[in-house]
Amino acid sequence: MRRRHLLKATVLMPAAALPMPAIAQAPKKIAWLTWNLVHLESHIKQWIAGFVAANPGAEVEWIDKKGPELPAFYQTQLVAGTPPDVIDIQGALGLEYAGQGALLDMTALLAKDSAVKANYDADYLSNWVFEGKNYMVPYYVSKTLLFWNKNRFRDAGLDKPPATFAEIIGFADKMKGGEKTGLLTLNFDWLYWPFMQMNGIDLLSPDLKTPTFNTAKAAEVLSVLADATKSGAINGISWTGRWVEPNEAFATGNVGMLHAHAPAYFWIKGKGPWINGETVGATHVPGGWATPNSHGLGISKGSKNPELAWAFVKHITGNVVADSLARTASVLTGNRTVDQAQLARLQKDDPAAYDVLKTQFEFTDKMCGNWRLGNDSRVKDAFWPEFQSAVLGRKTPKAALADAERRVARELRRA
Amino acid sequence: MTDTRPDWYRRKRTREIATVVCFLLPALVLFFLYRILPLGWNLWLSFQAWSPLKPAQFIGLENYQEMLLDDDVFWQALGNTLIFIGCSPLAIAAALGIALLVNSDLKGAAIYRTIVFLSYPLMTVAVGIIWRWLYDERGGFINYVLRQAGFITEPLKFLQSFDMALPSVIVADFWQVLGFYMIILLTGLQSIPQHLYEAARVDGVPARARFLWITLPLLRPSIFLCLVVGILNSFTAFDLVYVMTNGGPGHATELLITLIYKAGFGQTRFDYAAALTVVQFLLLVVLTWVANRAAGGNAGSREG
Repeated sequence: MRRRHLLKATVLMPAAALPMPAIAQAPKKIAWLTWNLVHLESHIKQWIAGFVAANPGAEVEWIDKKGPELPAFYQTQLVAGTPPDVIDIQGALGLEYAGQGALLDMTALLAKDSAVKANYDADYLSNWVFEGKNYMVPYYVSKTLLFWNKNRFRDAGLDKPPATFAEIIGFADKMKGGEKTGLLTLNFDWLYWPFMQMNGIDLLSPDLKTPTFNTAKAAEVLSVLADATKSGAINGISWTGRWVEPNEAFATGNVGMLHAHAPAYFWIKGKGPWINGETVGATHVPGGWATPNSHGLGISKGSKNPELAWAFVKHITGNVVADSLARTASVLTGNRTVDQAQLARLQKDDPAAYDVLKTQFEFTDKMCGNWRLGNDSRVKDAFWPEFQSAVLGRKTPKAALADAERRVARELRRA
Repeated sequence: MTDTRPDWYRRKRTREIATVVCFLLPALVLFFLYRILPLGWNLWLSFQAWSPLKPAQFIGLENYQEMLLDDDVFWQALGNTLIFIGCSPLAIAAALGIALLVNSDLKGAAIYRTIVFLSYPLMTVAVGIIWRWLYDERGGFINYVLRQAGFITEPLKFLQSFDMALPSVIVADFWQVLGFYMIILLTGLQSIPQHLYEAARVDGVPARARFLWITLPLLRPSIFLCLVVGILNSFTAFDLVYVMTNGGPGHATELLITLIYKAGFGQTRFDYAAALTVVQFLLLVVLTWVANRAAGGNAGSREG
C-alpha cells in the first residue's frame, strides 16, 4: 500500500510541476534580450536596478547575444513559447518580426503616452512602422554617411567631398594607385543602397509588390561600379567584407572615402591614431540619402507581462538611462532631449565626433533601403548575390539585374 | 512445439536478456531522442508550410518542388558540396604521402608527425580566421610571399574572387584535417605485418608493386575511414565557410549546410530548411554507401 502511494506521488509530482510557469514568465518578471551589449554589463545592471527600485516586486532577467546568435536564439524562444518580453533588434529585422506577428503593436501604448512618443525622434520612430502600426521605439540610432580622408584628397589635388555620383567615382579614380583605393562601402543590411537611390533607382513599387530596379539606369550604375571596382578605384572589400574588413582598410589611411554608418567612426578612430577632425571629414552622400541601421526596442507579442515590459521600455529609453547610454557608448539614442544634450556636449569636447553625429539628424526624411517588408531578409538574399555578381564582374549588369528581378519577384509572390 | 528447457534455464535467459536491455536502454533512449525523433520531425516538417508563429499546414512536396525546379542556389550549393567532397581524396593522398614519410626511417619523424597533426585540434573558427588573414589581399602572408618572389604584381583576391574562393576554403579545410588523416593512415600502416614486406623483398618485388599490392589493400579500412570523415567534413564545414566567406562572393562558396542555416535562421524558413536537410541526409547516406562499396564493402575491413 505504502509502495503504491509512493509510486503515485512520484508520478504526480512532475505532473503538478508542469503547469507552473517558467521563471521568466512568473508574475512581475520580464526578460530583456540585447544584441552585442555585453561590454555594457555594469551599466545595464545599474539601469535594471533603477527599474526594479521604481517597480517594487518586478524582476528583470537580462540576456545578451552576439550578432549572428540573436535571431536564432529569438526564434527558438518563439517556438518554445517563451520569447523574451523586451527585445533589442537592429535594422529591418524588427519589421520582419512585426510582419510575422512576433511583436506587440505599440501604437496604442504610444498614443496613450503622447509625451513619451513626442520625445522620440519622429523619423527614426517611423523606421519601424509596419502597415501603419508602430512595433518598436528607437534605442540607439544611426544611418549611413560618407567619411572622407582629407590626406588622400589633398594628395589627389581635391579639396572638397563629392557632390554627385559621377564625382564620387571620379574622385575615387583619382585617389587609386598601388595600395591605395578611392572608395569603400559597407554592404550589409542594404547599406549600399544610397548609391542606387541617388541615381533614382527604386527597389520596389510604392505598394511593395513589384520589383522596379531592372532599368537601363540601374544597369549603367552597376556597370560604373563594376568598372571602378575592377580598376581599383573602389576597393573590392566593399562587396565582400562586412564590418571589420572595410573599416580596418579605411583605418590604414590608404582609402579615400568610406560609406558607413556613424558607429564606424568610433571603431576606425580606435584603430587609426591618425584619425581626427583635421584628417577625416564627415558628410552626406549626394542627395542626402542614407540607410538607417538603428537598434530599436520591441515587446514580444507572447509576453506575459506586456504592461511591465512597456514600463521597462520607457525606463530604458527615458532621459536618465538614455543619457547614460549616450555618454557610455558614444551613441545617439533617438531620445530628442538626450541627443540634443549629447550633441551640445560633443560640439564642445570632441568636435570631430560632433561632425559625424550631427549628420544623423540631418536629411532624416531621406532615409532609404528600409522597406516595410515582412520578408526583408528573403528579398535581400535574393537581390544581393546578383548585385555582388555584377559589381565583381561575374555577370553583366543586365544579366544580373534580370536574375535579381526574377528572384525578388518570386519572394514577393511568396509573401 | 513446447519449450522443453527447464524453468531455471528459462529464468536465467530472461534475466540475461533483461540485463542486456537495461544496459542498452539508456543509449537507445538517447539515440531515439537525439537522432531518430529529430530525423522524423524534420522529415514531417519538410512537407509542411511552417514558421515559428504560424500553424503548420501540409503542402506535400512543394518545398522539394521549389528546391529542385526553382532554386538555383540549391543547385549551386549542391555542386559546391560535391566539389568539396570530391577533393577529399586529394587530401587523403597527401596525408598518405606524409604518413609513409613519417613511418620510414626519416630523422625527426616524430617531430614532423606532431607538426602535421597540430592543426587538427584547433577550433575550426580559429582555422577560418587564420586562413582569412593568410589570404588577405593587403597584409596576407600568401600575397606577400608571392609578390616578394615576383610571381605576381597585383595581390590575388583569394576570398573575393568567384573562381578562387571555393578552392581557397578547401585548402584551409585540407590544412586542418590533413593531420587527422595522417594519424589514421599511419596507424593503418603500422598494423600491416612486416613479414609480408620481407617476403616480397625476398621474392624481389619492387617497391612500387609492394605499395600497390600490399600497402594499399591492407590500408583499405583506414582509407575508408578517411573517406567517410572527408564526406562528413564536407557536410559539416559550416563554421569554416561561415567565418571565411559566409558563402560568398555571390554563392560561390555556399554549401548545403550553410544554405540550410541561412534558410532556417536567416529567412525563418524552417520548413524549406527541413527539406534541404532531408536531401543532404540522403546524399550523405548514398555517398557513404558508395564509399563503403569502393572500399570493398564491410567498411573496408580486411579478411583473414
